[in-house]
Amino acid sequence: MNDLFAADAAGTAGTWVAALLTVVVFGRLLGERRVFALAQYLLAGLATGYLMVLSVREVLVPRLLDPLVNDAGGRPALWLAVPLVVAMAGAGYLPRRLAGVPVAMLIGGIAAFALGGAVVGTVLPQLAAGIVAPTGATAILNGLIALLISGLVLVSFLHGAPRRRLGVGAAAVGRWLLIGGLGAWLGYLLVSRLALMVDRIGFLLFDWIGIGR
Amino acid sequence: MTDARPRPSLSRAGLAAIGLLGALVAALLIGSPAGLQLANPDRSAVSQFRSAIAGIPADATVLVAFDPDIGTYPEIRFAVRSVLDDLMAHGAGLAIISYTPEGRALALAELERLRGGGAPASRLLDLGFRTGAEAGLVISVGSVVPASASGALADLLRARGGGLHAFDLALIIAGGDLGPRSWIEQIGTRVPGLPLVAVAPTSLRPELEPYLATGQLAALLGTLRDDTGYASSLESPAADRPPGSLAILVGMLAALSVLLQAGSRGIRARLRRAVGGRERW
Repeated sequence: MNDLFAADAAGTAGTWVAALLTVVVFGRLLGERRVFALAQYLLAGLATGYLMVLSVREVLVPRLLDPLVNDAGGRPALWLAVPLVVAMAGAGYLPRRLAGVPVAMLIGGIAAFALGGAVVGTVLPQLAAGIVAPTGATAILNGLIALLISGLVLVSFLHGAPRRRLGVGAAAVGRWLLIGGLGAWLGYLLVSRLALMVDRIGFLLFDWIGIGR
Repeated sequence: MTDARPRPSLSRAGLAAIGLLGALVAALLIGSPAGLQLANPDRSAVSQFRSAIAGIPADATVLVAFDPDIGTYPEIRFAVRSVLDDLMAHGAGLAIISYTPEGRALALAELERLRGGGAPASRLLDLGFRTGAEAGLVISVGSVVPASASGALADLLRARGGGLHAFDLALIIAGGDLGPRSWIEQIGTRVPGLPLVAVAPTSLRPELEPYLATGQLAALLGTLRDDTGYASSLESPAADRPPGSLAILVGMLAALSVLLQAGSRGIRARLRRAVGGRERW
């Protein structure tokens, strides 16, 4: 049992709706498009509605409106957020320069955090970990192979630069190594998608039809 | 008048899809035959994860960052429930938070399941949804307990400062946009004393492996085989349906056959072009 639905009437209704929609989506495999499109619209609509409810119930009301209403002078910085939220909500009706302010702040903030974190949390520690004293023949060999593969793949990204025959060959090898890496990653992704498909079929068989219950 | 146009018949791809569905249904109904084992015989990842959990104090507080992706959650659900049950069995208090909308939806479902399963309210706390992606993570360092939160666990966390320093372990349920990498980059550098462990879908494993090697990530369950191995190592496995090993095998064989077919088609086309070119020459 996936236990995502309770055993009451609402849970039973939820199981039926989920099962019928799963059948509709699987119907796309057989070429059925119209009902599948309805399922897609339903998903888009529900996702939008869910995001709306989530942002109102868990963000705007408890983190902005409640503090302002209950203690208007307690956190003055929150008043600055009000025009930003209004500008964001009315972006379609406002001049671009005005509507762009909250978006610019949003993107700038996220980029600053992500870049700073990537340098301090990933680039520097991984570089430090990569510089190790050789401890044995296997470690040296592994390091050399990693260095060779990284170098060849980086060479394959050198577009437009004049290259000699050796450079062209190295870039071609690097490109194939890159494709090989992508293929391996797609293999990993396949396992996730396969588990999802098996889970959905299991849901239909065991949770909906009730085999073995 | 009747419509004389022929009805479109099923394409080869459609027939193949029906065949795959039928094979998967049969595999699930047969179950997992003896000798076919999904659990990884190499238990190093499982041991690492279990020792990370065993290392927390008896009345530990664990932050569960619940941010999986709906598309990959079925792969890790079995492991996630096993880890949560294991933590509860260790006497840990679980505070669940989400930084992505998808994660919040799944967190609510799991919270309901835990409450319905009899988890004591004093050891379960819903910290809700935090916006702001990386910025939201950084804000959590100083304050993670909302003003509306109540109960013994909320009081304990407030007494410890109310931020991420109040926790003994952070369990990251990954798959969505904000995963272990963001946690390592934003939290690992700001709260270095907080051990980070993660349960992630297989597709994230290549990205997380280097962090595991450097110790920035204390433990990782990152493949279906490790997930199953972890669940089978527990005394009381989670109340969930384990992934069917035969069904996974059937799916893998189907994927391999598609790969081989595409590969042979490409080779045949190249040979045909080569032969044609020679004849023209």
